[in-house]
Amino acid sequence: MGEVIVVTSGKGGVGKTTTTANVGTGLAKLGKKVVLIDTDIGLRNLDVVMGLENRIVYNLVDVIEGNCRIKQALIKDKRLDTLYLLPSAQTKDKSAVNPEQMKKLAEQLKDEFDYIIMDCPAGIEQGFQNAIAGADSALVVTTPEVSAVRDADRIIGLLDANEMKQIHLIVNRLRNQMVKDNNMLSSDDVVEILGVDLIGVVPDDEQIIVSTNNGEPLVGTEALAGQAYMNICRRLLGEEVELLDLNGKKGLFSKIGNLFKKN
Amino acid sequence: MESTVMIKGSKSGIILVLDEKLEFSKLQTDVAKKIKESAKFLGKTHIALQFQGRTLSDEEVQTLIKIIEDNSRLKIACVIEDNEKQEEKFKKNLDQALSKMNDNSGQFYKGNLRSGQVLESESSIVVIGDVNAGAKVVSKGNIIIIGNLKGNVFAGAGGNKRAFVLALGMQPIQIRIADFIARAPDKEETKGIFKDKASLFYRKKSKKSVQDLSSNEMKIAFVDGEKIMIEPLNKDVLNEIKF
Repeated sequence: MGEVIVVTSGKGGVGKTTTTANVGTGLAKLGKKVVLIDTDIGLRNLDVVMGLENRIVYNLVDVIEGNCRIKQALIKDKRLDTLYLLPSAQTKDKSAVNPEQMKKLAEQLKDEFDYIIMDCPAGIEQGFQNAIAGADSALVVTTPEVSAVRDADRIIGLLDANEMKQIHLIVNRLRNQMVKDNNMLSSDDVVEILGVDLIGVVPDDEQIIVSTNNGEPLVGTEALAGQAYMNICRRLLGEEVELLDLNGKKGLFSKIGNLFKKN
Repeated sequence: MESTVMIKGSKSGIILVLDEKLEFSKLQTDVAKKIKESAKFLGKTHIALQFQGRTLSDEEVQTLIKIIEDNSRLKIACVIEDNEKQEEKFKKNLDQALSKMNDNSGQFYKGNLRSGQVLESESSIVVIGDVNAGAKVVSKGNIIIIGNLKGNVFAGAGGNKRAFVLALGMQPIQIRIADFIARAPDKEETKGIFKDKASLFYRKKSKKSVQDLSSNEMKIAFVDGEKIMIEPLNKDVLNEIKF
C-alpha cells in the first residue's frame, strides 16, 4: 500500500516543484516505485523540471474526466524505470478538479506505487484543497525568510485542521554564510517558530538552477543540494541520517584542521 | 371602554395589538368581533400577521388565526413573531451573566495557534502553546499564554481596562487591552536583526526604553494610565492586579 505525500508551502517560489522532482527522483533511485502528480492545473511546470514535457499526451484533467485511463496518462521517466509523472493540464483551471476526485485518484494509484507525491500549487484555495485531499503526510517547504515562514505557518495550521497526520518541514535555499553573519534565519529558528519536525535543510545552490533548466533533477549528485535531497529521501524511508554539513567546500588547511579536531 | 383589541394595518399585513391582562376566552370573542367589523375593509387577500402586547402560546396563536380566517375573507400566510423585546431582555441578561463570568472564570486552549487562526472567548483564556505571528487571541477577560506570544492579542475586548495579558515569551506584534493599542517597535537597523529581538516597550518606573522581551521570563502587559506597560511578572505586580 503506497503513501501519498503532498509537497506544499503556501508561498510561491520557495521550491515546491524542485523539491517534488528531487525527492521523487531520489526515492526512485533508492528503488521505490514513485509517481509524481502535478496538481497545479493551469500553471504546469513539473514536467519541465523533469524534462518530460515533450512526452505529454494526456493529463490529470483527462484522467479525472474519464477521457483516458490512468495508465495512458502516466509518463515514464527517461532515466528511471520506477518513476512516473502525471502532468497537469495547461488549458484548464483549478476548478476542473475537486478534492473527492483527487482522493479517489490517489486511492487508485496507491495499489501500484510505493509513493505518490503531489506537487501543490501556491496559495490556499481550491488547488491546495485538491492537492491535500488524498494525502497521508505533508512536506512543508519554506525558505528562511519571514514571509515564507509566515505562509508555512498558515499552511501547517490548515493541514492540522484537515487532520494531516504527519507534517515534515524542509528548509530550502539556506545560505550558511548569511546565517553565520546573523542576516538570515537559521533552520533552528524556523523550526522554533513552526514547531514541526525538520526532515532536511537544502542549501542555496546554483546547480539547482542549472539542473532545473536542463530538466535533470540533481538528487544524488555531488552537489550539496543533491546530497541534501538524497538525505531527505533516506529519512523519508526511515533511515537515520545526520544533517548535512553546509559549510561547503573547504580549503586544504581547514580539512587538515578538522582531522586534528577529530583526534 | 378601552378597546382590548386593535388592528394596525401595514403594507403587507396587519398587526393585532392585544390586551395583556384580559382572559383569553374573552379575548377570543373580542377579536372575532373586531375582525368582523373590519372584514369589509380588510378585503380578501393573503396577509402576514403579527401579534403585539401579549405573549401567546402556539395553541392560542392557532386559535386566533382560525378566528380571523372564519370571520373575514383573509388568509393568514404567515405569523411574524414579535421578538424584539425578548431579544433585548435576553441580551441584557446574557451580557450581565457573562461579565460576571469574565471576572473569575476562564477557558483553556491547548495547542499552537498558527498564522490565520483566531481564538475568541467571552471569558478569560489560557493558551497552552505558542501564538505565532499572524494568529490572534481575543478575549473579553484576561489572556494568559503559556508559550511564546508572537501574534496579536486583544484582552478586555468588552472594554475592561483592568484586563491583562500574561505570556512566557512576550514578543507580540500588537497588544490591545480595552481601547488601548501597543505595537511592537520597528526593528532597528542593526546587523543580525534576527538575533537581536530587543523591543521598545516602555518600562513602568525606570522608563528604560529597551528591554529584551524575548528572554524566557513570564511577562505581564497591562494598562497603566494611558499606556500599555510590559513588565516582568513578580510579586509586586501580582499584588497590583485587581479584577
